[in-house]
Amino acid sequence: MARGRPIDRLLIANRGEIAVRVAHTARRMGISTVGVHSDTDRSALHVEVMDRSVALGGATAAESYLRVDAVIDAARRCGADAVHPGYGFLAERADAAEAVETAGLVWVGPAAGHIRLLGDKLTAKRIATEAGVPTTPVAQIANGRIDGEVVLPAIVKAAAGGGGRGMRIVRDRDELDAAIGSASREALAAFGDGTVFIEPYLEAGRHIEVQVLGDHHGNVIHLGERDCSIQRRNQKIVEEAPAVGIDDELRRRLCDGAVALASHVGYHNAGTVEYLVAADGTVTFLEVNTRLQVEHPVTEAVTGLDLVELQLRIAAGEPLPLAQHDVRTHGHAIEVRLVAEDPREGWLPSTGLLEQFELAHGVRGDAGVRSGDTVSPEYDSLLAKVISHARDRDSAARQLADALSRSWVAGVRTNLDHLVGLLGESDFLAGAVSTAYLDDHPRLCDSGPDGMTRVLLAAAVALLDEQDARRDDRRWGFAPASWRNLRTMGARSAWTDDRGDTVQLELVRRGPVDAELLVGEWPEADDDGVLGSDERHLHQVRAIRADGSTLQLEVDGVAATVRHGRSDDAMLVATSGGAIAWRRVPRFPDHDAASADAGPLAPLPGTVLEVGVEQGDAVHDGMRLVVIEAMKMEHTIAAVGEGVVAAVRVAVGDRVDAGDLLVVIER
Amino acid sequence: MLRTRLDTGSEQYRDNVARMSELWGTVAQELASVPTIGGQRYVDRHRRRGKLLVRERIEVLVDPHTPFLELSPLAAWGTDDPVGAGIVTGIGVVEGTEVAITGSDITYRGGSVNPTTLAKAARFYEIARANRLPVISLNESAGADLPRQADIFVPGGAQFKELTQLSAAGIPSITIGFGPATAGGAYIPGMSDHVVMVKDRATAYLGGPPLVKMAIDEDADEESLGGALMHSRTSGLSDHLAVDELDALRIGRALVRDLRWQKQGPGPSGSGAAPLHDTDELIGCASADVRVPFDVREVLARVLDGSEFDEFKPLYGDKLVCGWGAIHGFPVGVLANNGILFSEEAQKGSQFIQLCNRSDTPLVFVQNITGFMVGTAAEQGGIIKNGAKLINAVSNSTVPHLVLMVGASYGAGNYGMSGRAYDPRFIFTWPNHRIAVMGPKQLSGVMEIVARNAAAGKGVPVDEEQLGAQSAFLEAAIEEQSTALFATGRVWDDGIIHPNDTRTVLGLALSATHSAPVRGASTYGVWRH
Repeated sequence: MARGRPIDRLLIANRGEIAVRVAHTARRMGISTVGVHSDTDRSALHVEVMDRSVALGGATAAESYLRVDAVIDAARRCGADAVHPGYGFLAERADAAEAVETAGLVWVGPAAGHIRLLGDKLTAKRIATEAGVPTTPVAQIANGRIDGEVVLPAIVKAAAGGGGRGMRIVRDRDELDAAIGSASREALAAFGDGTVFIEPYLEAGRHIEVQVLGDHHGNVIHLGERDCSIQRRNQKIVEEAPAVGIDDELRRRLCDGAVALASHVGYHNAGTVEYLVAADGTVTFLEVNTRLQVEHPVTEAVTGLDLVELQLRIAAGEPLPLAQHDVRTHGHAIEVRLVAEDPREGWLPSTGLLEQFELAHGVRGDAGVRSGDTVSPEYDSLLAKVISHARDRDSAARQLADALSRSWVAGVRTNLDHLVGLLGESDFLAGAVSTAYLDDHPRLCDSGPDGMTRVLLAAAVALLDEQDARRDDRRWGFAPASWRNLRTMGARSAWTDDRGDTVQLELVRRGPVDAELLVGEWPEADDDGVLGSDERHLHQVRAIRADGSTLQLEVDGVAATVRHGRSDDAMLVATSGGAIAWRRVPRFPDHDAASADAGPLAPLPGTVLEVGVEQGDAVHDGMRLVVIEAMKMEHTIAAVGEGVVAAVRVAVGDRVDAGDLLVVIER
Repeated sequence: MLRTRLDTGSEQYRDNVARMSELWGTVAQELASVPTIGGQRYVDRHRRRGKLLVRERIEVLVDPHTPFLELSPLAAWGTDDPVGAGIVTGIGVVEGTEVAITGSDITYRGGSVNPTTLAKAARFYEIARANRLPVISLNESAGADLPRQADIFVPGGAQFKELTQLSAAGIPSITIGFGPATAGGAYIPGMSDHVVMVKDRATAYLGGPPLVKMAIDEDADEESLGGALMHSRTSGLSDHLAVDELDALRIGRALVRDLRWQKQGPGPSGSGAAPLHDTDELIGCASADVRVPFDVREVLARVLDGSEFDEFKPLYGDKLVCGWGAIHGFPVGVLANNGILFSEEAQKGSQFIQLCNRSDTPLVFVQNITGFMVGTAAEQGGIIKNGAKLINAVSNSTVPHLVLMVGASYGAGNYGMSGRAYDPRFIFTWPNHRIAVMGPKQLSGVMEIVARNAAAGKGVPVDEEQLGAQSAFLEAAIEEQSTALFATGRVWDDGIIHPNDTRTVLGLALSATHSAPVRGASTYGVWRH
């Protein structure tokens, strides 16, 4: 086991928020930083934050951040003496830890042997059982036979697995063999190891984990537990410390178990022991994460410690600066992960230009991106973590919801509104969290700015659009907006919000300051030509003050400030309570000139060779309708736009003249 | 820098505001009635066909949030023709280009042409031509109002000449057909540079199916005779077939964009700073009763940029205030009446007009004039020849003239101050405006003296009662024919405006005049010294 030594220059082998976060502590400690980056990340935030950053080339993770040799080479070139892997990428790769140590560099993490040992879930289970960690019995598969008792419902897991792959839930014994077979095949394909095992499946359990730290001098302590139950696709979304509603007895069992396990193997550096806790109090050990966790900031918040600093000190060979009895926790911390995924679309990743990215002040924000960055499909969807810390859970939740509702993210779809909804949801506030929470609360997907905020943001877009137009009017920009000596209607515009809902607006000027905003469907004539009664909501709006980035306005006597920005096709507005990227509905439908036509004409005189459609057929753009032979060449007449064939005017063998209508298409 | 002596707390000011507001109220009421003058039944029928009203089409056509200056909106007021004359004319911005827009209102008698329509259209084409504004016609008309053909047929032909002469002058014309263009009306698209027709809606033919049946006994259907599709693919009258009205307006906008129109005037050069004095006080600057004098500088102080005014000859001929300033950055020379014109005023004005022509500076005439001075002293002092100088200068001046009527416009003063007959580029009127050959009291008084002289000549006694009644009747009649509404109804101006809108309206108009070159004259008629 390599002993550490002082670190002067740290290579951070990661990207995104964790690279930025690690660099932050390193800087505070007077350690210079070396980053690495792929070609895709050339202008990423983490590159800017580092003192130096080395290009690894490539776009995908495999071509860049996963290349151990390239990372070590980068460390050598820049004179780094240690490597922090962050999480993901190389963090739990024993071969990377080994190669780094072999190269004479310090690996800021546990020993390669520990990574390997605990990386195998089955082995970890065995060690946990040996160390007296609370868990449920495991059934192994030996020579195709199940060795041990299977309690239903059960879960089949791959020993080398992770991320939900090689996992099968079994509720009926008849399904067991098939589940073992398929899980094993999947595990073999994914991890090169088809070993699977069976353990009881805890329904709607809570994911609770314990942060442990060990040094090179045999000291192991825990920093309390975290609850990370709220997950989508087995990936955490909300994490908090401490876990709500567990008694001291359970807390002690979990924490002592974690320390026992780490001590048992002589673990050093940061690690996390993960458990699943059922509603009935049954505890099962899941695995050990041999790295810094994404959610470590909640532990930092309640303990007041900097885990990265402790990692670096341990790696440098220093003894733990505190004993177990020195660890005190204060209040409650909640972290949410802001991801570029759309909860409404089944958490479909969203990529592209991040037009606006501003986290509200007052809470901790660990961001890996900034406005103007491009969210690439190559990497993880995590944009930032936002962490609140308050004296109790309710306050922390309220503080965090407020901060998120004042944050502004536009360009890619995120779970921002969803998080705000979640943090105010009654079951969450009551502490009724479990791994099934998101499935049980699908309505959270409808979260978004409330009615009043929406009207405010609609008024903002109407006024800003007007201001933009007046500024761009090179001819009559000096004159009042929409000035008329004979007025009939206001300025109409229609906008679509992030979720595809359209709002129709009409801004009626009453003066240079005052205006009325009509929100709702523009009145349309009924079958008798009579305009329906105007049922739109009328709001009194006025722009109080405006500059390039904020607009202070008043809607029905209530003043508010809206931040604003523009993108190619959207007006981005944000206020406390939410943000909307309004996309303008084009004023004019985009018609193809030919689509107005009654149908194709013969382009030149000839003979009809083929007729491909008959009356009543639906046609689509480019569809072959008629073939004419003329000048010894075949001319295909295709449909322009969509429609239905109203009549076919020609038959095979007919002579046609140039300009003859061949097929009548109704649109 | 103009200082103000206007006391907004004074009774005079409050009285002015109250009476001007009342006068404007009447105008506003008339304006409000114009868009649906065709009557609810016809408006509904129009909408039932999925059509937009003509002003709704204009709203779609112009750039969002830009102003639209409607011209002669109350044309035909006080006549047998519908108020507004059944068409809309105005100036707007399409794709960043100032254009002259006209459209027919088919909800009133099928959009048919009446005598005032011709007068309003003639003024519209005059404005388009003089200011070099591309013309967009939103066409939908049944043609001449047949029972009134005698007043229409012969002069009506001028429109087509106007269009092709515009084209010859390099001023583009775009016609968008939304409905019928029949007989003579078919020449509107026929004479235009660009034509768009709405499918299944626009038609154009010299003779409709009934006339064709009568004339050559042919059974023709509308589409084959003059449908949008036929004209787009067979006759070639239409360049663009639009799917619907919105599509037609979209194409119209694209056509303007593709003109790549360049203005030829120098454009604004000043800061365009707001006046130091509140423009909303304009409503109380002018006396509602034109017989009560007021200082026209109070108007200028609320219209000119930064209230800055470099006055010319302030100590000479002080009843005509002359000087330089700017409106929304456009430099102007101002001639404004502060009473009757004497020889000095006329000479000062003609010199000032020549100076402004030398420096290519557009002129703004602010009319509040009861006429040239009469009497022995004036005549002996050469008021005729001096007045002639002013009229000579005004007539031969080639810089743009804008006229603002803020009070009286009586007698030859109207001519000397570039009245309607002197082809000002634009002429706008405040609601208190009075216009006639002379004041009604003077006119009836003159007639009374003439009658007394005639009686004396014949040696018959004057029937005082009858003469008194005659004079009173005449005075009342002339009074009625002198009002702003009467004048605007006869297209003597380009519209009555709210006084507080003056700066905006003059700015828009000035900007429009800069579409054409702004060049001063170097030759005038012979000066009689």
